[in-house]
Amino acid sequence: MLLDHYSGIAPTGDLLLLRRLGELLQGKTFLHVNSTRSGGGVAETLQRMLPLIRDLGINARWEVIEGDMFFFDTTKKMHNALQGNREYISEEMWGHHFGVNRINAGKINLEADAVLIHDPQPVPLVEFRRGGCWFWRCHIDVSNPVREVSDRIMRYSKKYDAAIFSVSKFAQALGIDELIIPPSIDPLSDKNRKLTDTEISEALERLGVPADRPMILQVSRFDRFKDPIGVIQAYRMVKKYNNCILVLAGSPATDDPEGAAVLGEVTAYAADDPDIHILLLPPFSDKYINALQRAATVILQKSLKEGFGLTVSEAMWKGKPVIGGATGGIPLQIVHGVTGFLVHSVEGAAFRTRQFLNNPDMTKRMGEKGREYIRKNFLITRQVRDYLSIWYRGENGGKGVVEL
Amino acid sequence: METTTPFEFKQYVSVLKAAGQRAGNLRELREVIAVVSDDSLFHHTYQYFLKDHVLEYTNDFAYWAGESLEERVLAEQLSNIDPYIFNHIDELRRALLSVIDTYLEGFPEPRQALSGEEFYFNETVSFIFPAGIRVKNLAEFLIAMRYIDPSAIYYHFYEARVRLGVDDLSAWVETSLGRKQLAERIRSIDPFMHSVEGIREHIVEAVEDKVRRDMEVL
Repeated sequence: MLLDHYSGIAPTGDLLLLRRLGELLQGKTFLHVNSTRSGGGVAETLQRMLPLIRDLGINARWEVIEGDMFFFDTTKKMHNALQGNREYISEEMWGHHFGVNRINAGKINLEADAVLIHDPQPVPLVEFRRGGCWFWRCHIDVSNPVREVSDRIMRYSKKYDAAIFSVSKFAQALGIDELIIPPSIDPLSDKNRKLTDTEISEALERLGVPADRPMILQVSRFDRFKDPIGVIQAYRMVKKYNNCILVLAGSPATDDPEGAAVLGEVTAYAADDPDIHILLLPPFSDKYINALQRAATVILQKSLKEGFGLTVSEAMWKGKPVIGGATGGIPLQIVHGVTGFLVHSVEGAAFRTRQFLNNPDMTKRMGEKGREYIRKNFLITRQVRDYLSIWYRGENGGKGVVEL
Repeated sequence: METTTPFEFKQYVSVLKAAGQRAGNLRELREVIAVVSDDSLFHHTYQYFLKDHVLEYTNDFAYWAGESLEERVLAEQLSNIDPYIFNHIDELRRALLSVIDTYLEGFPEPRQALSGEEFYFNETVSFIFPAGIRVKNLAEFLIAMRYIDPSAIYYHFYEARVRLGVDDLSAWVETSLGRKQLAERIRSIDPFMHSVEGIREHIVEAVEDKVRRDMEVL
C-alpha cells in the first residue's frame, strides 16, 4: 500500500485512522474539482493526495473546469478582491462566471458521495449538485475581503453542507458549518524527501552557491509582501558580526506582473555584494529548493502578509528552525521560542538570525522540535485524515462527537 | 488472572470548527464568553492541554490577554482558573466573566488588539476511534501507558473526567483490577498542573511502582 510508505514518518494514529476511514468509506466516490491541473499549491497537493485516497479503496476523482480568458481574468479579479484588493466585477462578469460553470456542470460527472470544490472559480457548481456531501474548500486569505465580492461568492458557498478554511480568522459567518483544515506538505515529494549529501552538494554546485560559510535562506516569490528587501537589510546587520551568505530563491510567477519589477528592485538593492545570491529558479525546481533548505543554517520567511506560508513547514521538516513574520498562517507553524522565532521587524530578524548562527546547539534543538511539530500537524496524511473524517461525519448526522 | 474486563484504548483527533464569533478587545471578549456555546468554552479551556507546547498560560483566553492585549495581570488571573474544579461549564463561564469584570473595574481600559490578532472563537468536532490496543492486566497496562499515543491519554484522562466525572484509567484499575490504592494515586494527579506527557510520566511511575512491589518476593 502507498500508505505504508508513510509508516515511521507520519504519526501512527493518523495512519490508523486513515485505514479505519478507508474501511468505512470503501468503494464510495470522492470528487475534487478545481480550475488547474498544474501550477499552484492546490494542484500540487491534489496530485499527491489523490493516489493516497485511492489507495484506501475510495474512488477518488479529480476534475478541472474549463473556461476562456474572460472567465480566468474575472476569477483572478475575484481572487484578488477576496484577498482585499479593490477590484470591479461587473454583472456581465458574474453572469459569465455562472455560465461557464453551467457549461462545465454539463460536461463533468458531478455524481459522487462527497464533492470538494476548491476556491472561487468552480464555486457555482453547487447549483448543479446531485446528492452527496458538498464541501467548499477556500484556500485564500479571506480575512479582509472586498465585501461586495465576498457576499456574492458566499451566496454560493452557503448552499454547501460545509465550508473549509485554512485558518480560523478566514472563516465567515455563513450559517453553515465552517471547518478549519490547514494545508500540508508531502514528506515523500521531491521538495521534501530526504536527499543524500552528494545530491545536496551537486545541487549547490549547479546553483553556484558556495558551501563554505553559513547560509541564510529565504525561499519565496519576488513579492513585496515577502519583504525581500527587509531580508537583505537583516542580513547586512548580521554580516557585521558573522561571515555568512544570503540566498534569496524564488520562481517567476506568470500570474504576477509585479514579480519582475520586485526582482529588479531586489537585485539593485543587493548591489555588488558577492555573498548575496539571488536565484530565479524555473518551475519544477523542487529538488533544488529541497537542497537549499537542507544546506541552509538559518531559514527566514519574513513575510509582511501571508496566506499560509507552507515554505515554513517545508523548512521545519528539514530540521531547520525558522524565523518568520508574525502574519497569516506563520504563527500556526512557528511556536515562538520553541520551534523558531516570530519577528515583527528587520531588527528582530537580524537579532534572531545572529542567535541561531552563534548557538548551534539551540539551533539544532529547536530544529528537531520544529520537525516533530510539523510531523504531528502539517503532513499530507493529516490533511487526508481531516477530509475523510468530515465527510464521514457529514454522512452520519454532522454531530460534534463522532465514534468510528 | 487479574481481570475479566479488558481495557480498550481509544484515540482522539479533532477538527476545528469556527464558532462564528470574534473579539477585538476585552469588552467584546467578555460579551462573547457570556453567550458562546459550551463547546467553544470547552475547547478554549479544557482542550488547551492538548497543545504540544503549554507555556505559561493554561487556556486560550489567558494566552490572548497576555500575548495580544499584553495585559499580564489579567493573563495570570485567567491562567489561574482551574476548569477541573467545576461541575458544569456554566460555572467555568461565570468564573471567567468574574475575573474579566473585576479587571475591567480596577484597571485602565485595555487597548484594542492589532488587526489580525483578534480572538476567534472555535469549537471542535471530535473523532474517537480504537487505538488497536487492549490490555488485560497491570503489566500490559504499564507497557501501553508508556507507548500509547498522547491523544489516547488526553481522551481517557482529561476528557473522560468531563464526560464521566472520573478518568477512565483509574476507574478501570479500580473496578476491573480491584487496585483501589493505585486508582486513588492516579486520581490524585492534578490534571491542571501537567501536560499530557507529564500525566503519562506520573501514571507510569505510579503503575511501575505497584508492579515492582507486586513482583518482589522478599
